Amino acid sequence: MSLPDPRYARNLSTLSADDQRVLAQSHVLLVGLGGLGGAVLDQLLRLGVGHITGADGDVFEPSNLNRQLLATQNTLGQGKALAAAERAALVNPTVRFTPVAAFLDSHTLPPLVRPAHVVIDALGGLAFRRDLQHIAAAHGKPLVSAGIAGFTGWVAAVRPGEIGPADIFTPSPSPSPPSSHPTAEEALGNLAPVATLAASLQVTLALKLLLRRPVQSGMFIFDLDDLSLQHVAL
Amino acid sequence: MQLTVKCFATLAPHSPTVAPFIWDAQGTVADLMTHLHVPHHEVKLIFVNGRSATPDTTLNDGDRVGLFPPVGGG
Repeated sequence: MSLPDPRYARNLSTLSADDQRVLAQSHVLLVGLGGLGGAVLDQLLRLGVGHITGADGDVFEPSNLNRQLLATQNTLGQGKALAAAERAALVNPTVRFTPVAAFLDSHTLPPLVRPAHVVIDALGGLAFRRDLQHIAAAHGKPLVSAGIAGFTGWVAAVRPGEIGPADIFTPSPSPSPPSSHPTAEEALGNLAPVATLAASLQVTLALKLLLRRPVQSGMFIFDLDDLSLQHVAL
Repeated sequence: MQLTVKCFATLAPHSPTVAPFIWDAQGTVADLMTHLHVPHHEVKLIFVNGRSATPDTTLNDGDRVGLFPPVGGG
């Protein structure tokens, strides 16, 4: 990449030319391409992260249209990973985007984690987050995680060895038996402004990790009902 | 004692309607949850003054208490 590249002119000088070069040489694994993941992908592309691997085995359905950036009338029924690849080519063809059209598990995840500098957890639901956090940690990779429900969201950077949200929300390695009790996100839904704000905070933390700038551990919890943001040490 | 209490997401209806909240008792986070009719099993994260806490944590005048259910939407 030759600098100055007009594509990144408005990233300057909050991001220096050296920062931009580091980003161009960075690889992010993005797990989930829904409400969080679609918005995260868009921002990673515009920041100029050089290589993004985006994984999701799902297809778009009408209930995704309220918040998921990659869900449009044109992508209904289409795989989320394919839609992400098309979006990446439209927004920033200088970024190498590797789509993975699969739901990852503890066997398929490690080879994807290994080459990444940062792993972003943009999953829906809590079921696989514990495995994802622990596999990232086992490979020495920092993880940026988030969850939303209603007007509320949390975002956290988890470095290897640190306690993360998955340890708190799903402390048992075996998932609890199915309950008729709806989860918070099922009860309250997920709104576009909440998903996009959580995604913006995730990308901000990932950016700082990639640029080796200080990042606070613990959770950042926001509530758009009263526009509050607070930090919690875990 | 005087507390600032915030219940998040599905627990929000249990937040005291007045702030600061005057709790006419002494006790732990668990006691406060019982007083506010917060279902204990729905609370996954407790924080007091910005630090993770437990139901056994004793509350003091001026504490800021947060009660958070499992939130994992995306």
